[in-house]
Amino acid sequence: MHELGIAGYLIEVAEQHLQRVPHGTVRRLVVRIGEMAGVNPDSLDFAFECLSKGTGVDGARLEVERVPLSVECDACGRRSPVADYVFRCAACGAETVRIASGREMEFVAIDADDPEEVTGAPD
Amino acid sequence: MHLIDVQTGLLADNDAVAAENREMLAKRGIYAVNVMSAPGAGKTSLLERLLPLLAARWRVAVIEGDIVGSADAERLAKLGLPVEQINTGGACHLDARMVHHGVHEVVHGPSDVLVFENVGNLVCPAEFDLGEDDAVMLLSVTEGHDKPKKYPLMFRRAGLLVLNKVDLLAMTDFSVEVAVAAARDVHPGIEVIKTSCRTGEGIADVAAWVEGRIAAKHGRAAPPPPPPPKAG
Repeated sequence: MHELGIAGYLIEVAEQHLQRVPHGTVRRLVVRIGEMAGVNPDSLDFAFECLSKGTGVDGARLEVERVPLSVECDACGRRSPVADYVFRCAACGAETVRIASGREMEFVAIDADDPEEVTGAPD
Repeated sequence: MHLIDVQTGLLADNDAVAAENREMLAKRGIYAVNVMSAPGAGKTSLLERLLPLLAARWRVAVIEGDIVGSADAERLAKLGLPVEQINTGGACHLDARMVHHGVHEVVHGPSDVLVFENVGNLVCPAEFDLGEDDAVMLLSVTEGHDKPKKYPLMFRRAGLLVLNKVDLLAMTDFSVEVAVAAARDVHPGIEVIKTSCRTGEGIADVAAWVEGRIAAKHGRAAPPPPPPPKAG
């Protein structure tokens, strides 16, 4: 249920950026969510839809890039995917692994219409 | 098309305040532990048993998180320790900003150890760093041994898993072996202590674990002189 707070923060950060950068209509907000991040993309999408009404990103689509869970092995240095949340190196079986990806919870970019195009300027 | 680069963490706000909390605590050499579990796993009962053991050697303060009410804070205040109640007003977890004021109070007081008792929830608290040194989680045997597979993040984050209510094991189908193996799939290094807050089993082991962590984090193996006895 903290997706609501995260969606609120997302909108706040987006509006701060949009104040500084000339832009046309905002089409998409791109976020990156790891497989093991404590965020449900559907809940985040729903919260975003509710909270964005009447803001500078009203009507924009939330695009979620999922990042699979992977670990890097301290023993052999190789990187391997994690299946079923079993944290072992798939290459050498060592338990001394660190999470390499899958914990992401990032606001990547805002996709808006080009302000030049909006004002009708030539290419 | 016009891409505006943002590149910021969605929890950047929380993480920044958590870092501030951690720095304030580190400066004063205060060890902080974040205690998390599902509702009813026995966090407050564990603290009622554990904190008197710790308070014999360390000055302990508690920040208590609940959605509403002060029942748990009242229980812990009976131990004669400073307890600050935080009501999250519906939020399902403590976050760094909610506890920031409490941390501020604690670092200006005479404390060695700060205990955060989080809101009962196996999901959200795991994602919100408070600025603690260690996360401890409780799993009670009545919840079932499959929980590490279902709530991996919480088990991944915790340094210590307390298996509570072991006095009820005979009445459940809970397998300690299955639970521990599942927890160690998610977090190979996790330590496990079996406890019962009714019989007192394992509580001294949890106290010893915490004291070991205090020593490890701050190089303070020898405790300070015991605090003066408090009324009540």
